[in-house]
Amino acid sequence: MSDAPADRADADSAARNAEGDGFFERYTTRALVAGVTVAVVVTLLLAGLLFPDSLAGTLADALTSRNTLAAALRLSVPIAFAALGGIFAEKSGVINIGLEGLLIISAFSAIYVADVTGGVWIGFAGGVVASTLLAALFAVVTIGFRADQIIAGLAVWLIALGLAPFASQVIYSSPNTPTVATTGTITVPVLADLPFFGALFSASPSVYLLFAAVFGSWYVFERTAFGRWIRASGENPKALDTAGVSVTHVRYAAVLISGVLAGMGGAALSLDLGQFTGNGPTMVNGKGFIAIVAYLFGNYNPVGAFLSTMLFAGLDAVQTVLQLQGIGIPRQLIRITPFVVVILVLALVGRTRLPEAAGENYETED
Amino acid sequence: MASAVHLDGITKRFPGVVANDDVDLEVERGTVHALLGENGAGKTTLMNVLYGLYEPTSGEVRLDGEPRAFGSPRDAIDAGIGMIHQHFMLVDPMTVTENITLGNEPRKWGGIAVDRAGSREAVVDLADRYGFDVDPDARIEDVSVGEQQRVEILKALYRGADTLILDEPTAVLTPQEVDELFEVLDELTAQGKTIIFITHKLGEAMRAADEISVLRDGRKVGAVDADATTQEELAELMVGREVLLDVDHGTAETGEVVASVSDVVVEDDRGVRAVDGVSFDVRGGEVFGIAGVDGNGQSELVEAVTGLQTPDAGEIRFRGEDVTTASRRQRIDDGMAYVPEDRQERGLVMEFGLVENGLLGSQHGPELASNGRIDWSKTRGHAEAIIDEYDVRPPDADADAESLSGGNQQKFIVGREFERDPELVVASHPTRGVDVGSIEFIHERLLELRKQGVAILLVSSKLEEVQGLSDRLAVVYEGEFIDVVDPDETTEEELGLLMAGERPGEDDGDGGEPEATGGGDADGTERETPTDLTDAADGERA
Amino acid sequence: MSVTDRARSALSRLVDASATERILISTAALVLSILIGAVLVLVAGRMTTCTAGEAVYYFGTGFCYDPVVVFDRLFLGALGDPLSGGWSPNGQFAVTLRETTLLLFTGLSVALAFRAGIFNIGTQGQMVVGALATALGVLWASSLVSGVVGTVVLIPFGLLVGAVFGGLYGAVPGLLKAYADANEVITTIMLNFIATGVALYLVSGIFKDPESAANQTVPLPEFAQFPALLFGGRQDFSIVALGFGLLAVAALYYALEHTAFGYDVRTSGVQPEAAEYGGVDAKRTVVASLTLSGALGGIAGAMYVMMVLGTFQTGIPAYGFDGITVSILAGNNPLGVGVAALLFGVLKSGTTVVQFATDVPPQLVGVLRGLIILFVAMPEFFRLLARGLPGTGSRPEAVATDGGTAGDGRGETDE
Repeated sequence: MSDAPADRADADSAARNAEGDGFFERYTTRALVAGVTVAVVVTLLLAGLLFPDSLAGTLADALTSRNTLAAALRLSVPIAFAALGGIFAEKSGVINIGLEGLLIISAFSAIYVADVTGGVWIGFAGGVVASTLLAALFAVVTIGFRADQIIAGLAVWLIALGLAPFASQVIYSSPNTPTVATTGTITVPVLADLPFFGALFSASPSVYLLFAAVFGSWYVFERTAFGRWIRASGENPKALDTAGVSVTHVRYAAVLISGVLAGMGGAALSLDLGQFTGNGPTMVNGKGFIAIVAYLFGNYNPVGAFLSTMLFAGLDAVQTVLQLQGIGIPRQLIRITPFVVVILVLALVGRTRLPEAAGENYETED
Repeated sequence: MASAVHLDGITKRFPGVVANDDVDLEVERGTVHALLGENGAGKTTLMNVLYGLYEPTSGEVRLDGEPRAFGSPRDAIDAGIGMIHQHFMLVDPMTVTENITLGNEPRKWGGIAVDRAGSREAVVDLADRYGFDVDPDARIEDVSVGEQQRVEILKALYRGADTLILDEPTAVLTPQEVDELFEVLDELTAQGKTIIFITHKLGEAMRAADEISVLRDGRKVGAVDADATTQEELAELMVGREVLLDVDHGTAETGEVVASVSDVVVEDDRGVRAVDGVSFDVRGGEVFGIAGVDGNGQSELVEAVTGLQTPDAGEIRFRGEDVTTASRRQRIDDGMAYVPEDRQERGLVMEFGLVENGLLGSQHGPELASNGRIDWSKTRGHAEAIIDEYDVRPPDADADAESLSGGNQQKFIVGREFERDPELVVASHPTRGVDVGSIEFIHERLLELRKQGVAILLVSSKLEEVQGLSDRLAVVYEGEFIDVVDPDETTEEELGLLMAGERPGEDDGDGGEPEATGGGDADGTERETPTDLTDAADGERA
Repeated sequence: MSVTDRARSALSRLVDASATERILISTAALVLSILIGAVLVLVAGRMTTCTAGEAVYYFGTGFCYDPVVVFDRLFLGALGDPLSGGWSPNGQFAVTLRETTLLLFTGLSVALAFRAGIFNIGTQGQMVVGALATALGVLWASSLVSGVVGTVVLIPFGLLVGAVFGGLYGAVPGLLKAYADANEVITTIMLNFIATGVALYLVSGIFKDPESAANQTVPLPEFAQFPALLFGGRQDFSIVALGFGLLAVAALYYALEHTAFGYDVRTSGVQPEAAEYGGVDAKRTVVASLTLSGALGGIAGAMYVMMVLGTFQTGIPAYGFDGITVSILAGNNPLGVGVAALLFGVLKSGTTVVQFATDVPPQLVGVLRGLIILFVAMPEFFRLLARGLPGTGSRPEAVATDGGTAGDGRGETDE
């Protein structure tokens, strides 16, 4: 028994190796996409260095611009928060397709509460509360009354899509709210002056909140018992139930957390601009749906979801920067690139492995 | 000393049925007790009472002499009872350690984080103590079924179980894994654990148990000492009458080759060869049987023949044509009938009524539809004829398939497929979960078809069924045909050895036709293979 | 099949418990949504300001908005006020029928896909594509014919173009699902955004009407639009189009219930493994049903162009999403779609009446739409209500006796 620790160390490294093999087997398509992205970026940068006056040069400039990173981060915030929320719900076995609705309701509520109280962060909290309440309704409907999750999620989206502009119209006589104070910027001295990466150190507080949330979510799933219960609840709820943990409680908790996270995203979105605009698809404009794709592509991993969000947001940010430089690619077409990318990625990656029991209602035995 | 487990006069009623009728069961500490009975005899219900899933209508549960009332499995677990379900309660993408500790994770940092090193250590210690061979870091989805079962047992032990209930533990195991399981059970009882073992396999009950209780129709009909009984005695207790089905099928007048399978290979999702180079012919007017323990490639082979899976190599010919890649619909149109293994997934649309189910497979055919238009009145007549002729109860063509009992569902499927006027019938476990009367009826129909010159491919894990009905019998083991024999010239013992993967050696006098293919590594364990008279690796689903 | 047989089977379908239950649940969902909507109106009425004279009083409290007025306008207003005399088919009633016509097609589009087990959220995008294709196609063809002949030729032509392009656009998620295993919910949502974006690009660029400030194509000539029979005063509704819609309801019902294709679709929808066993080509069925579903969406777009606007303009109203509500409310039954489309036609048309007659924001109807879907999605809730107080109900399923559920694998040897 004296050499047991050594054995264990061996076993440990063997396990790690096995995991590594599995990683490459499992994520080949993802690795491919990531690789292609990196290769394209590097090529562009090189080409830009060599021929600074060409289109490649301009693109390279756009890519390395501090503004691009700043814009990408800002665009990422609502999507990544919603994606984190989506991960919690779906890993627990509840597909939350209503993230878009949670973003809408929190975006409006944050402005409304900030307007009434005058406090930006009180408004932020108000947005989170509103989103959590709507998520609670969704939880009761899907977990308590075993409604079809997709249809109920759709209903959540449509309710918010109607309710937020309705409330805005009632209160402000317009689907758009007046402007309130914004969340402002936190700047780290010196570091903020770095080229490119300086954007990381001069950003809205919500960007830092996002970093914390990504790490926090990762920690919950990888290191805590609750994270394991969420996984078990989505993969084999009966196993969790027979192990003496209530599947219902775990799922309620997970859906509520998804409401909190999406609420932070929505509040950050509107408070960043200081206004809610509620015309047509509202200012949220599909971000909740992109969030779903982001976490699917990130394979339910919080960090992966964040990185894929950055990929989509980066695309959008480069587009904005190019716009400012007057490059003649029609705006409407660039707008749809993330959606096209999503379709292409889905066509390549195909089926993402959903948690085994996602979408199914669970009935306890007794 | 009081018994470890004492069920005293347990009666459990459900609306309309008495699942357990005044059952007494006493199990001594440190012994293995087998609970034997046919599907639906009330074994699982009785154990669910013990496990706290059901409350008994009357009667009492006593542990070590003390009366206990369990409101939920949680109470039972706390009282030291663990249950290993037929379908494992494991989370596939999580590791062995994570699964064993699920719900009771050792914590650190004030309960925030899981103590991962501590968890692993606890699992390794536990496995060492009982001499279990498990890899604590492997993911469940990557380990064998046998290892998954050991993980389930460890999970119960981790929660402090003294008494383990195993529900049909051998249904999913290979013969070697069964041996390993029985060794594990020996080790557990040696360390003072009490085991209750639910089964319908006589041989296994006799091998593994110290004592055997037999249930029939919810009543306990006998308790015997495993060393002092015979299979015949147990079989009669179980069924209540002589069980050996003596089918006189006469001699076959075989015709043309109807279906021909050559060198077919089918890989499963993981790229493992589930069917590994199998070849055989089925002629008109003969029953070609395939025997073997479940999970040795039978399902994949049948799906390849019927067009639900495309083989990875080899050729399948039907009525002289190459149909290897032909669609399922084309095979149906060409006269291939198929009684599928899984009637509720495949064979019936559970939400549809019988009228619509009678149409399944014929919706494009000339009989019930023309030019893409369904003739509902003919279809109704067709369904009513099946119901009438195959004695499907209740005789209501509008009843939803899901409202029928399993046996009646099966009779309807059999009727629909046999009435297709087929050239070939592929029947996969055609009598699984069906009552005795219906079994005989289905067998008679099958032999009638044979008399009419239809080719029949019969797959079953019931030895007496394939042996009794087949004209030629192939034994499949790990995706290969071990041998093709004349069932009338082969004893059950010989078949049992073949099913365990033992190839016919020098003592090859059983008239087997030298058609068996492939030459893999037969496992050479010398042991008594159970010959299960009523082996129906059952189709119960939780 | 004889007439009596037919009648008997129709009757048996009618008394089918699950069908009755479905109708009850849909009705209950509707009523409950309206009640919640009324509360919402009251609450909103407390949050806005008005003079004491404008306020209405319930339970001793003053409210700025009166739900009774709102729902009176919503429903009776949509029907052109049949109770107050002076009813004319040319009024709001025609608008209601117009909306109903469009919703019939989008509702059928969603329903067909649903029956095949596919959630087509992309009807909106398919409608946009169909509408744009129709506008451009008919515009091109209208230079070749004119007059009554033009109408007779161009309307079927326009519908065909809309169907073909909507169908092709619907085939995309179908192919992606069948051959790349891509989730159709995600792809169709994405394709909606893409359709809107590309249409905006085209119509604000090369196909833009230079005469107009809006992003729209050159208007179609008068003869290339649906004729305004019976409803002479209206330019934006044609009884002919409604006729097409009702025909589509009947056709889809027939196709689903009486053809082999419909049987394949329904079987794949409820139990794909059994469908495969029964010789149904799963991939082909997925592609075919999404293509047909897209074609129905495309026809809705064609109708919108040739009947309502007379041109393609960006910002097509969300008929596609309303189609989802219509279909869900109808239990995905084509005949039910007929009723649900009329109901939603009333709601949509009533929205404008509410907007004119009251100060209540018209987005209220959007909220109602969401609520209706939510309630229809939770039949369990109504079963509990029907059974009495929540929590007292027992489990509806028969209890399993031997490890299986009732009726599951139990032969006669069972206890």
